[in-house]
Amino acid sequence: MLKRLWILTIPILVSAPLAAQKPAAPGKQWRTPWGDPDLQGSWSNATTTPLERPAKYAGREFLTKEEMAAQDKQTAIATDKRDQEGTPQDVNGAYNGFWWERGWSDGRTSLIYDPPDGRIPPMTAEGKARKAEQDRKNQSSEGELGAGPYNGPEDVELYTRCIVRAALPRIPTGYDNNYQIVQSPNSVAILQEQIHETRVIPLDGRAHVNSSVRQWLGDSRGHWEGNTLVVETTNFSDQASFQGATPNMRLVERWTRVADNRIDYRFTVEDPATWSRPWSAAIAWTATGNLYEYACHEDNYGLYGILAGARAQEKEHR
Amino acid sequence: MRNSLALCAAILAVLPAAAQQAYKAPRLAGTDHPDLNGLWQSITEANWDIQAHAAQPGPPQFGALYAEPAGPGIVEGNEIPYQPWALAKKKENFEKRLTRVNTDGVRLEPLDPEAKCYMPGVPRANYMPFPFQIVEGDKKIIMAYEYASASRLISMDKAEPAPVESYMGWSNGRWDGDTLAVDVTGFNDKTWFDRAGNFHSEALHVVERYTPAAPNLIQYEALIEDPKVFTRPWKMSFPIYRRLDKNAQFLEFKCVPFSEELVYGHLRKKPDK
Repeated sequence: MLKRLWILTIPILVSAPLAAQKPAAPGKQWRTPWGDPDLQGSWSNATTTPLERPAKYAGREFLTKEEMAAQDKQTAIATDKRDQEGTPQDVNGAYNGFWWERGWSDGRTSLIYDPPDGRIPPMTAEGKARKAEQDRKNQSSEGELGAGPYNGPEDVELYTRCIVRAALPRIPTGYDNNYQIVQSPNSVAILQEQIHETRVIPLDGRAHVNSSVRQWLGDSRGHWEGNTLVVETTNFSDQASFQGATPNMRLVERWTRVADNRIDYRFTVEDPATWSRPWSAAIAWTATGNLYEYACHEDNYGLYGILAGARAQEKEHR
Repeated sequence: MRNSLALCAAILAVLPAAAQQAYKAPRLAGTDHPDLNGLWQSITEANWDIQAHAAQPGPPQFGALYAEPAGPGIVEGNEIPYQPWALAKKKENFEKRLTRVNTDGVRLEPLDPEAKCYMPGVPRANYMPFPFQIVEGDKKIIMAYEYASASRLISMDKAEPAPVESYMGWSNGRWDGDTLAVDVTGFNDKTWFDRAGNFHSEALHVVERYTPAAPNLIQYEALIEDPKVFTRPWKMSFPIYRRLDKNAQFLEFKCVPFSEELVYGHLRKKPDK
C-alpha cells in the first residue's frame, strides 16, 4: 500500500530541478519539542531508479509518464514470478513479490544528479587498479554454484558473512531498505534494519575520532543547516569500500523533511584517489511501517552450508 | 575510565538515601520526561556470572589475560530459582560452552552465544563490559549497544504486542514518574544471561526500570519471569554510569569477523598434504 502511494507523491519532488529545490518553509509540524527539524520515524529508501543513468536515456533526466509506467509494470512482473515448487529454480523464484521491496521508479533516469550526465565520474588510473583488486577479493557467492573457492569465510562476501550489508552511503537494493530515525538534542540515531546496527551521530560539534580508528560505517558528525541535517562521515575501514573508494573517502549526507511522509536525502562523495571529481545523488526516503530485528550472523545457515558444501564436494572429488 | 566512574560512585555513596530518591533529573527540552540521553555503561562482573563468584583462571596459555574477575553478583538474594532440569541444563551449557555440539541438527557449534558474537539479549546488553548509547526522542528511544552492533527500539508512543521472536526482544516503554519502565517480550531462547551458562526460554518476560538517581547515574532493575525455566520471578539490579571521559563516544564492536574461526573453523579447507 505504502509503495503504491508514494508514486503519487513523487512527481512533486521531481517537478522542480532537484538542485534548485528549496527546503520547505519551517513547518511547525516537523519540529521536535526542543525546536529542531523533525526527521523522526521509520523510512524506506526503496526505488527502482538506478544509481547511474542507463545509456539509452543519455541526455535525459526524466522518464516520460509512459516509460515510468512501463518500468513499474516490469518491476511488478519481475518480482512476482515463482518457479514451480520443487524445481531447482524455485530457490531463487521463491523471492517473489511477497519478499521483494523493490519500490518503484521515482520518475528520474538516475539517482545521480551531479555530474549532470547521471554517471559516476571517471575513475583515476589508481582507482581502477584498486577496484579490480577489490572486486576480486569480494567475489560474490551468488555466482555459479560451486564457483568458489570457498576455502573459508573470508572467501565469501561481507553481506553473506553478515558483517555489513554494504558500505555507506546506502543505495537501495531489493528488500529491507528500512531505517528508523530517533533524535535527541545532542545526537541523532539512525537504526539500519540491515544489519541491525545504529549510526549514532553526535551533533555537539566535537572533532572526529582519531584517524587511527577505522570503522565499517566510518565516524559521523552532524549539524543542522536550516531545516537540513548535514552529516559528514570519515574514518572508513579498508575492509569495506563504496564503489571502489579508499578509506579516505569523505561522505556528506543531507536529510530534509519535505512532506509528512517524505524526506529528501542526498549524498556527496569525494575521494581524489578514486574519482576525477566529487559526485552526488538524491534518493527519496518515504514513510514506512515498523522495523523488525534482522538477525543475520546468528542464524547464518547460508554461509555454514556454503563452507560445508565446499568441503563435501572436495571429499567427493578426492 | 574506571577511575572517573569509581569517583562518581564514591560521591554518590556518601549521599543519604533520601537525597538520592529526591533527585529530579533534567527534562528532555520541551517535554515533561527525564532526559536519559548519553553514553552509559555499567561496571559489574556480571557478564562472567550474574551470581556471586570467586575469581577463575582463563585458558592457561594466556596466563592471567583472560582470567575472570570475582564479583558479588547482581541477582537479588543471589539465588536463581531454576526448575531442576534447568539447573542441570545451565551446568551443561557451561561445560560445553566452547565444545562443538550439534543442537539444531545442522551445525556443530560451541554453545556460548557471546563467543559466537550473537546479539546479547536483554537485560544482558546492559551489563556487558561495553558502552551503550541512549538516544531519547519524544516518541521513541533507541538503545544502541557497541557489542555486536545490537540495537533496541523502545516504543513510547504506542504499545504493540511482539510480532515475532527475536534476540533483543520487543520493547514497549512508558514513564512511571521519573522511571523509564520497559516491558520486553518476544524473545527467542538463544541468548544467555552470562558466560556461566545462565539461560532462559522463549517465554522470557523482562520488566526493566531505569531510574535517574544523580546527574550521571541510573539505577537499573530488571524483573525476570520465565515459567518454563524458573519456579518464580526474580530480580537483578545494578547502577549504570554515564561515561564521563572527555573523548568518550559510541564506537563499533562488530565482532562477527572475530567469531568466524570459532563458528566456522572446522569447515575451513585443510592445507593439501
